[in-house]
This record gives sequence, C-alpha cells and structure tokens, in this order.
Amino acid sequence: MATSEAAIRVRGVFHRFGEAGEQRFVRALADTSLDIAAGELMCLIGPSGCGKSTLLNIMGGLMAPSAGTVEVRGQPVRGPLPRDIAFVFQENSLFPWNTVIENVELGMTFQGVSKSARAARAAEALAAVGLKEFALHYPAQLSGGMRQRAALARALSLKTPILLMDEPFGALDEQTRMILGEDLSVLLAQSRKTIVFVTHSLGEAVFLADRVAVFSARPGSIKQVIAVDEPHPRRPEFVTSAKFTSLRNQLYGLLHDEIRKAVQQSTAPDTGAEPA
Amino acid sequence: MAGKGASRLIQAGFLVGLVVVWYLAATRWGVNRLLLPNPVAVYDNLFDILRSGEFIDDLQTTLGELAAAFAISATGGVTLGYLISRSRYWIEVFEPLFAAVYSIPIILFLPLFVLFFGLGPASKIALGASISFFPIVINTIAGFGHVDRLFVTAARSMGASDYHLFRHVLLPAASPVILTGLRMGFTTALLSIIGSETLASLAGLGHRIVHLAEAMEMARMFAYIVFVVAIAVTLNAIVSRLEARGKRD
Amino acid sequence: MLRSLAQRPWLMRLIVIAALFALWEVAARFLVDRLFLSPPSQVIASLDKVFGTRGVPAALQLTLFELTVAFVLAVAIGLALGLAIGLQPLVRRSFFPIVLLLYGMPQVTILPLFILFFGIGAASKIAFGVTHGVFPVIVTVVAGVQNLKPILLTGARSMGASRWQIFRHVIFPHMVPSFFAGMRLAMSGVLLGVLLAELYVSIAGIGYFTTLFTQNFDPTKLLGLIGVLAAMAIVLNAVVRRAENHFGRWRAE
Repeated sequence: MATSEAAIRVRGVFHRFGEAGEQRFVRALADTSLDIAAGELMCLIGPSGCGKSTLLNIMGGLMAPSAGTVEVRGQPVRGPLPRDIAFVFQENSLFPWNTVIENVELGMTFQGVSKSARAARAAEALAAVGLKEFALHYPAQLSGGMRQRAALARALSLKTPILLMDEPFGALDEQTRMILGEDLSVLLAQSRKTIVFVTHSLGEAVFLADRVAVFSARPGSIKQVIAVDEPHPRRPEFVTSAKFTSLRNQLYGLLHDEIRKAVQQSTAPDTGAEPA
Repeated sequence: MAGKGASRLIQAGFLVGLVVVWYLAATRWGVNRLLLPNPVAVYDNLFDILRSGEFIDDLQTTLGELAAAFAISATGGVTLGYLISRSRYWIEVFEPLFAAVYSIPIILFLPLFVLFFGLGPASKIALGASISFFPIVINTIAGFGHVDRLFVTAARSMGASDYHLFRHVLLPAASPVILTGLRMGFTTALLSIIGSETLASLAGLGHRIVHLAEAMEMARMFAYIVFVVAIAVTLNAIVSRLEARGKRD
Repeated sequence: MLRSLAQRPWLMRLIVIAALFALWEVAARFLVDRLFLSPPSQVIASLDKVFGTRGVPAALQLTLFELTVAFVLAVAIGLALGLAIGLQPLVRRSFFPIVLLLYGMPQVTILPLFILFFGIGAASKIAFGVTHGVFPVIVTVVAGVQNLKPILLTGARSMGASRWQIFRHVIFPHMVPSFFAGMRLAMSGVLLGVLLAELYVSIAGIGYFTTLFTQNFDPTKLLGLIGVLAAMAIVLNAVVRRAENHFGRWRAE
C-alpha cells in the first residue's frame, strides 16, 4: 500500500517542442501536476500524442521541461538519476551485440556497481524474470516478450527505488501482455518499488495500477486520477470481477472523447492557438 | 538551423583554402614546377584545350569505346541474367560464381586482351564489356529472382500468359534493381575504359594524360585531368538521373 | 545421378567451371592461334617456368607486401577519419559530402601523377592502393556511427553512462559490423589500386613482366602470371570476408 510521502512531485509542467510558427511545433504538455507516493504503482493513460511519454522522460531527467518543476525524493531533477530511477522502454532497448547477461551487467557498469557484485545481481535479476536459461542468448534470438523480460531484469538489477516504464508491453500480442502483466504484479508486490507505468490499454491500467492518471488530448494535462483500491499481487480473477469492469468503463468514458480529439489533431498542425 | 549555414561555410572555406595552398605552393613556396604546375597555367591550358577542340578525337575514341562496351555488357548481362533467373537452381549455381569472379580486379586480364586484340579500341571494349557485365548480370538475377512469388501467383490466377507475366509483372517488379545494375555497369565501364587507356593504348583520354605525363607537360596534363573528371562526373550524374527517373515510373 | 546433382548446386557449379575450362582447352588447342591463347593444361604445366623467370618471384612478393601495407594503412586511416567525421555532427555535415565527392572520382586519371610524385617503387603503389581503399572504410564507419538507434543512447544515458562509456560500450560495438563490411570493400579497392599501379609501371615489378610476356607473344607465361595474381586476390578477399562473418555475428537477424 502507498505511504503518504511523495516519491515524485510534478508541479506545473509545461512542455513544447520547437517554436511557434515552425513546422515541428507541438505543445506536448500544459500545466501538469501530479504527486506519486512512494511504493505506489501509478499508471499514465491517455490518447496518442497526449504527452505521457514526454512526462515520463521529464520525470526521469532525460528532458528538461519548458516550464515547471519535478522533484524526486525531495530533490529537484536536473538530469538522469541512475541511482534513483531505472527505465524500461517499449522495445529494442537492449544492445543487440551483447548477450542478455552482458546487457544486464552493462547497465550496472554504467550505474557504477563494482565488478564483483555485478555477476550475482545479474543472475538474481534474470532468475526473478524467469530468464535464467537464456542468459547467454542474443536479443535477436529471443521473442518480443522475452526481450522485454530482459529489459526489465536490467532495470531491476539496478536496484533503484523508482521504475519508469514507457509502454513496456506495447509491442507485444495480447496473450503475452496478459502473462507479463500478472508476473509483473507478483514481482512488484515483493519489492515495494515506486512505479510509473505508461500504457494505452485500459485493462492493463486497471489491472496493474494503484492509481490511474487520465490525460486529455494534446496539449496534455491530467483530466482525472482514479484510484484502484485492490491489494497486490493482483489475482487473475480480478479481471472478471464487477469492480474491474466498472473501473474500466469509467476509464473508457473519460478517454473516448479525448481519443477522438487526438485523431483529429494528428492531421492538423499545432498553430499555437488555445484549445477549444 | 544554425548548423546548415556553418557546414556550408566550412566546406567553402576548406575548398578555397585548398586552392590557395596549391597556388602558394606552386608559385611562392618553391615546389618544383615539374611536380606541381601553377593553377593559373592549368586554367589557361584547359581553356585552350576547349577552345581549340583538341580534345575531340580523344573524347570520341573514349566515348565510342564506352558505348560499344556498355551495349555489349548490357544486352548480354540482362539477357543472361533473365535466363538464369527463371530457375532457382540455376540462380544458386551461377550467382556465387559471378560474385566470386567480380571480386577480383578483372583489369588484371588487360594484358591478355592486348595480346589478343592489340593496342587499339577493341581491347578496351573487350575489357570494358567484361568488367561491366558482372554488376549487370548479378543485379538482373537479383531483380528477377526476388520478385515476390505472390505477384506471380496472383497474375497466373487471373490467367496471365508467359508474355503477360514478363511484361506486366516481372519486368516492372525487377526494373529498379536492374536499373541500379545498369548504372553500376555504366560507371564501371567508364572507369575500366579510362583505366585501360591509361595502361595500354594509342588513343583516348586516358592515353592523352599518360602522354602528357611522359612529356612532363604538367599544366596541360592537369587540365586534361580536370576535363576527364568533369566528363566522368557529368556522365555519372546523367546516368543516375536516368536511373531515378526509370525507378519513379 | 541427375537427382543428386539437382540437390547439390555446388556440384553443378564445379561442373560448370570444369566445362568452361574444357571449352578453353579446346578453343586454345584447335580454334585459336597459339600465339594468342594457351590451353589451361599448358599454362599449369608451365607455371614453374613462370616462377623460374628471374625477377618474377621477387615482383610477386613485392606486390603482396604492397597489398598488405596499403590495406592496413587504408583501414587505420579510414577508421580514424571515419570516427572523427562521424562523431561530430558539424564535422560530418561539412566534410562527408567532400568525402563522397572524392569517393566517386575516377582516380585512375591521376595514376600517372602518383607515379610522377612517388616514383616507380613501392611507395606509389601503396599510396594509390590507400587512396582506393580508404574511402569505403570512412563511409561505412560514418554510417555505423550514425545509424545508431537513438533509444540505445537514451537507455545508456538513463543508466548513468559517461561519454567515454557510451563510446566504448555503445557506439563502438555498434559500428563494428559496418567497419568490417567496409574492410571488405577496402580490400577490393586496395587490390584495384595496387594492381593498376603495378600494371602501369612497365619498367619494374609485375608490370614489367606483363609487358614482356605480351610483347613476346607468350600467352602461356602471361596467363600463368595473371592466374597467380588472381589467386592472390581471391585468397585475400576470402580472408577479409571470413573476418567479416566472424565479427559481424550480431548483425545476423
């Protein structure tokens, strides 16, 4: 269960790409504020282009916002924080010239873990995601689901208190997503990390999250935050319960119009005018 | 974007600097006139060559050899390539053979051609055709060979005859790759012919440069080098444009 | 027997090669004047005479030496220049077009110039080989550095990698397969450059002997010499290709 201190504090974040009048000008985020409590799993969900991945990158220090602040564990974010935050990206983030275990160990090399500790932590992380027998395989030899497990193992081995996951299962088929989602829930129940998880999938958000932040269409801001009051690890039966269905319907209601708006936006350039 | 202007400036600066260094080296810094001619003298010679039309005979020889060589290799290469591509088996037999032969510098065989055909245009044409044959045949095989079987199946299911299949499915599907092969063949033929004129010839642009080198007429030689490079670049640009045009349709 | 042939294209390949040699043999024996073409049987039988001709083994050794040195230099210079150009966007935007321009230039037009500058010895052959071999290496190294997927850089940055770590663990390994492909092209270029220069200089080295055998209407020895050089080229190419297959393994997807 979430404690009351905020692990991540987002205040008044605006972000735009390019300048007004340029062809590539886009206002990604407008006045976004959010508190994420330590130990909770927060899902960010919204239509395409609403800025959820941008917000994730800003939270993790990979980008500086055009305006606003982000604090992680009380300190303002000014760049990547490899000891506090680990990322899991959607796909292709493993180095293809290294084996799975080399990839995991390289992450620790970057973070600064001593050489003697790396091997043990890598083996532990791979076992946790169920890839122990595939340590010496190359990413090209693995299925999409296994590659994402490896990416997760790499992030876990860094032993950061915070995990930022940008649609990690987005490129996978629905069956693999289901399995990985259940396994992730079990893993995280044990570790009590703070997790921010970006997704497109309504079902995935309800299944995994303690709270779900729903974004509006571009320029994105948080329309509403919904709480999912259900203990971790989530049981597979939760998916067929009435509570799940009702929450999912709530999300659908909030999102549907925003999705339509986003589709219209994708064909028209951002003129800088205020949204209707 | 700030970058674009800066890079153009650096390029221009670099090239201008090069010419300036050349000028100074030839005139002020005492580099031997027999090694590096005065750029002004080169320019004057180039102008003279163009004005007097001295280049015409050599240019005709070279271009004539090029046309003949390319005609031979193009027709031979495309025909043979098509015939081989009709069967997976023969593709597997011949493709590695062609690739292996193409990987050695066929210019090695020039003395043989000279022995056979003498120092005249025939040996250059033979060598040019031999060398440029390979990229053409290899690309033709690849082009026809990799046509998606799905297209063939669809066409056959609609009742296409062999001729229909060739003209409306195979040829359009394969032509981008074949055009690339033809462009490569042309460029290779040009290089091979100038090369063989340099090594063993009595006429042609390559020979002219050698002749001037032996006579130590440096400024005029440099002028001809500029001329030949310009011709080569122009021809290659034309051929590339044709290739792109052909692919677009 | 036909069935087993159908299943073994490599066997058919050997048969095709054998058939071509047979054609050559017949043509040389019965159709063409001996002054212009020798049958392969005679060429092979006379190989010892070729090697016995004074100066030929030395010329062959020198050529091999020139090829090796030119290749090593072309690869080393190409790698250094390729990294210098590829890693800095401004340098790349400025100088890469110049590199491409030079790469497309018909270098054979300045062959007489090289000989005038560097003499008729090994230096000019090596230099001409290097100028042919260096450009493919530069181009492939720049490509290998450039087409690194941005997400790999982002991932490394997010894990706290320093600039040196990014170069050593991300950019460099990513570039290696392209580099080896460039080496393969460099070997072809070096072969072309060195052999062109050798053939041009008709008063020393290989060029002396090809000219000699041609003027003496001795196709047997000429074919023998060319055959040895062609074999040298094939072996060198095969060595580089082996290295490329071995080190480019992760690219095989």
